Amino acid sequence: MSTAAEHPAEHSAGHPAAQPADRTAGRNTGEAVMSLLLAAVGVYLIVEAGAIAVPGSANTIGPRFFPYLVGGLTVLTGVALGIRTLRGDRGPADDSEDVDLDAPTDWRAVAVIAVAFLAQALLINVVGWPLAVALMFAAVAWALGAVGIVRPFLIGLLAGCIVWIVFVKALNVALPGGVVLEYLTSWF
Amino acid sequence: MGALGDLANGFADALTPINLLWALLGVLLGTAVGVLPGIGPAMTVALLLPVTYVLEPTSAFIMFAGIYYGGMYGGSTTSILLNTPGESSSIMTALEGNKMAKAGRGSAALATAAIGSFVAGTIATLLLALVAPTVVDLAIGITAADYFALAVLAFVAVATVLGSSPLRGLASLCIGLYLGLVGTDVLTGQERFTLGVPQLSDGVDVVVVAVALFAVGECLYVASRLRRGSVQVLDASAGWLTRQDLRRSWKPWLRGTALGFPLGALPAGGAEIPTFLSYAAERKLTKHPEEFGKGAIEGVAGPEAANNASAAGVLVPLLTLGLPTSATAAIILAAFQGYGIQPGPTLLTTEGPLVWTLIASLLIGNFMLLVLNLPLVGVWVKLLRIPRPYLYAGILMFASLGSFAVNADPLDLVILLVIGLLGFLMRRYGWPVAPAVIGLILGPIAETNLRRALAISDGDLSVLVDTWFSRIVLALAFLALFGPIVLRLVKGPRSTPEQLQADGHLEHRDRDDAVPTGADREDRS
Amino acid sequence: MTAVVVVGYVPNPRGEAALEHALQECRRRGARLVVLNSSRGDALVDEDLVRGAALEQLERQLGESGVPFEVRQPERGRDVAEELAAVAGDTSAELVVIGLRRRSAVGKLLMGSAAQRILLDVDCPVLAVKAPPGSSS
Repeated sequence: MSTAAEHPAEHSAGHPAAQPADRTAGRNTGEAVMSLLLAAVGVYLIVEAGAIAVPGSANTIGPRFFPYLVGGLTVLTGVALGIRTLRGDRGPADDSEDVDLDAPTDWRAVAVIAVAFLAQALLINVVGWPLAVALMFAAVAWALGAVGIVRPFLIGLLAGCIVWIVFVKALNVALPGGVVLEYLTSWF
Repeated sequence: MGALGDLANGFADALTPINLLWALLGVLLGTAVGVLPGIGPAMTVALLLPVTYVLEPTSAFIMFAGIYYGGMYGGSTTSILLNTPGESSSIMTALEGNKMAKAGRGSAALATAAIGSFVAGTIATLLLALVAPTVVDLAIGITAADYFALAVLAFVAVATVLGSSPLRGLASLCIGLYLGLVGTDVLTGQERFTLGVPQLSDGVDVVVVAVALFAVGECLYVASRLRRGSVQVLDASAGWLTRQDLRRSWKPWLRGTALGFPLGALPAGGAEIPTFLSYAAERKLTKHPEEFGKGAIEGVAGPEAANNASAAGVLVPLLTLGLPTSATAAIILAAFQGYGIQPGPTLLTTEGPLVWTLIASLLIGNFMLLVLNLPLVGVWVKLLRIPRPYLYAGILMFASLGSFAVNADPLDLVILLVIGLLGFLMRRYGWPVAPAVIGLILGPIAETNLRRALAISDGDLSVLVDTWFSRIVLALAFLALFGPIVLRLVKGPRSTPEQLQADGHLEHRDRDDAVPTGADREDRS
Repeated sequence: MTAVVVVGYVPNPRGEAALEHALQECRRRGARLVVLNSSRGDALVDEDLVRGAALEQLERQLGESGVPFEVRQPERGRDVAEELAAVAGDTSAELVVIGLRRRSAVGKLLMGSAAQRILLDVDCPVLAVKAPPGSSS
């Protein structure tokens, strides 16, 4: 495009070369931590497997054997992967249509979405699914750069109500609708 | 022919008006979701699985068959018109298909992909119908130890062959196996790893994990590195399939089917490898080598046929052995379990009508896709105009709906989020997601068989290599575990799709050459 | 330094009408034309952004007009009003030409009015053009 050069927008890959190197270092530490956490899960599996009550019987293989096996494999894999990552090996980050691999990580968006989703989970039984999910919809859309907050909320509310009516009234799925919506559709 | 008679009965069940309606709905939903960016077949199936829960099994599986094949079609349509292969199995189609579309032959590319998918899907589904009873006859005789060996092979193959890094595949598998351990031990009734949470004593729901890893993980990952900007949609209104195109296409369709079906049926299932092989074969056999890299129709016809044939191949081990070999198959297995049906060698006898209706529905769905897909391309492309904020917010809405609908317990949504965050990190660091899903669902099955085998032998481990079958399968698993590692050490990483397009050899290359190129992405602005 | 006319362009009759008037204004004023064809870039597909053959066609058409021109196609998550205001300020434009949508009161209520925002945001005179009647927009 003739215009990309004139308008170095935020998304274009015109960043200086220093930045990818920084990101590589960051990624390695992150993955190493994750590998070691995986190894820790393995240790947990082995330790906890020892605490599983085995019903007294002649059965040689009880509920502990497979957890030991999985725990051992997990520890080995976690440690091996941790060492490899610390030595500089790194996997190719997942590519996807809407992912810009050169973009710096937007932790704020991840945090907003996670909190919004958690809030939704806790609100469902209080205000009903449509309203809870509309709030989440608005927050997620906002975190992903939608204009305004009112329009995403209204769209989310509309979609939530339609989905709720289809699934609850037509397909009999158990989904709390909230006081207002349940009252309005009680004749149905 | 017993199989054909059973299949005819399956058609009789599937061809009622209401069931045809479910099939149509499944096909449309599957394609629509499959078209959307960032959603592959596995995620399509996972997201739409809860929709089928409210139906009775027959209707549900009819709809499911449509979703399964529709998701595949949707992916290849957009990969040709936008050059955005959503999943690894569409990469090869996108390579040549997009070049064809750029040269004004988009319509021909779509047509050869659609007809090739139809031909391959039909032949492969018929093969599935013919092969399944035979495999079941063979499988009735296998022991618990044999079954454990098969599960091990599936674990290893999925973990090491599919991804780019065997160790990361294993790490993902471990996560799945761990999640599979959570819950009540089937044989003794002991609770394991439930952290004292009562809801966890039933185990972690496969649907929740699949939706978390695929949908929530993808949303968080996209949010972390959101791409701005749009891509060009190539025009597909001109350049219809000519007689010469057909002449050049039919052999690749058949060859693609021949590669896709058996390779899909192997425990290292999945469509990536057959499509790569098909592309390499077509490149070698073509009479127009100069066109490869510039839009050769064989390069679209072959891989696309292989892709769909392998989707049917994956169903062979699933329906005859209860062995899922791809993430999508694992989710279908979860759907069976959701109805209290355990796929395995007895499935064809106990649930015969259901299985044959499913197979008949696959054929019907395949036909519907052929008829509907090309006229509806314009509609599918319109779906891509949904702004990303709304698209991903919508995906999360459906993720919430599906997971909450399973048990009506908000805790499931918290688990969904936690595992979704895990899925986000896995994507970020290049850990493949599929092994975790397969480990989760196949882990408990493997454990049960292991313990059965060892109970019979009184704890003697040699029972695991007692039959020739288990010896061969375990040897293969060993090979699959260390083969790729050795190959990589000796010859460097595997060719990237771009290298394959450039020089036509599918082989391990020297490290120095293996610079991943972004050449085919240049037209994103 | 020559004067600059900025036109907001979309590939439809209303955009063509705006472009037509902008070219006339350029000839009259002896001005340079800046064609702004922007997208928020928040969807995978945006058919309002001119690409490929259509872009070549547009550039050929502009080249034949004899008016010095420049096409800008920013995609950075800003809407048309913001982009127009930015370009107008950036080039010290003498005039901004926009195509006006025929819209019912309800449509305006739901979608808001981009034109209204442009009028408020842009500092120079704005010429609003409607598509010739009968053309679908």
